[in-house]
Amino acid sequence: MRVIYDIEAGRMVGVARRMLRRQDLAEEAVQDTFMRMWRAAGSFDPAKGSARTWLYAILRNCAISILRDESRFESDPEAGEDAAPATESALTRLPETSALRRCLEQLDPQRRSVVVLAYVHGLSHGELAGRLNIPLGTVKSWVRRSLISLQECMG
Amino acid sequence: MKDAREPNTQAAEYVLGLLEGEAKMEAERRLASDASFAREVEQWRARFGEFDDTPQSQPAGEALWNRIEATFADAPPRAAPLSAWSRLWSDISVLRTATIGASLAVLMLAVGLGVAIRQARLQPVMVAVLVDGDRTGAVVHAFADGRVVLLPLTSINVPSGRTLQVWTLPSRERGPVSVGLMDRARTLELELKDLPTPGPNQLFEITLEPAGGSPNGRPTGPILFKGNTAQTL
Repeated sequence: MRVIYDIEAGRMVGVARRMLRRQDLAEEAVQDTFMRMWRAAGSFDPAKGSARTWLYAILRNCAISILRDESRFESDPEAGEDAAPATESALTRLPETSALRRCLEQLDPQRRSVVVLAYVHGLSHGELAGRLNIPLGTVKSWVRRSLISLQECMG
Repeated sequence: MKDAREPNTQAAEYVLGLLEGEAKMEAERRLASDASFAREVEQWRARFGEFDDTPQSQPAGEALWNRIEATFADAPPRAAPLSAWSRLWSDISVLRTATIGASLAVLMLAVGLGVAIRQARLQPVMVAVLVDGDRTGAVVHAFADGRVVLLPLTSINVPSGRTLQVWTLPSRERGPVSVGLMDRARTLELELKDLPTPGPNQLFEITLEPAGGSPNGRPTGPILFKGNTAQTL
């Protein structure tokens, strides 16, 4: 576990902090993740997927649980970046060669935003609607259409 | 309303974290019971996983690790379902002593993570597990691009005025060559630039030497851990 910590924890805190925006909450998510890994390492099955996606899936779940726990997390609309720059900055950090980047760039900017902000910043349907100032039903349909396009593009 | 002709995006929405309540529970049930759905989820996780490589790394210091380690003490790993992997894990659980660091299962998880390299697509071509009797001390990964990295799996007690020195034996004629020094067990990129790429069955060892390293360029102190390389599958 220490090896994993030494090598992955900095990046894990970075991923969690992008979603939670606070260092203490990000560290809490990482701590929860190690706890779950520790308890569930027996259920990790390399035949079903890579250890890396397994680890980051747990981390995302932990961070999202904290995010969605509204009694603990005061949502602060001021703290969030505007949707468009936040999306673009996440996108430009992907390598030029990334298929994900290429396929996302083919989408209409606003439709791209819903997918990127959901994954990178952990926004819910409701928060996406608020941030982009569009109705909830529109968000849901944009998400689905974007995902279908991505599926086709990435094959 | 969902259009019946539309492809189903449940797996991808689950991965994005957009499902809540009943929809989320349904996806989790399918994930556990429906292999093709599980494959779809894994595929989406791998696709979006590229974003997880992009944030600025944040400090994760000793304090956080200490909190994490404290939680381990209260919670033993859950009994595992039977698969080759988890049988190994539970064997290891039995072997696990007070030290949490050195477990082979964790090592395999670490290897699985493709760690020690940021370009996770590179896999080590040679691996040496350095042991002392039945204690695993460290693992050496040799990568196709020529880099060789040592990952400690346990802490090593280093008295003051002494240092840990890593050696390899590229050939009997040449004898042991120093490839790295460290004041404590830590991840270390080894200096093998002037040596041939490690072959199978090449010895690596860690000895305890005076601060600054062995005075005569040969190991003088006790061997703490040693092991030979093996080709990875």
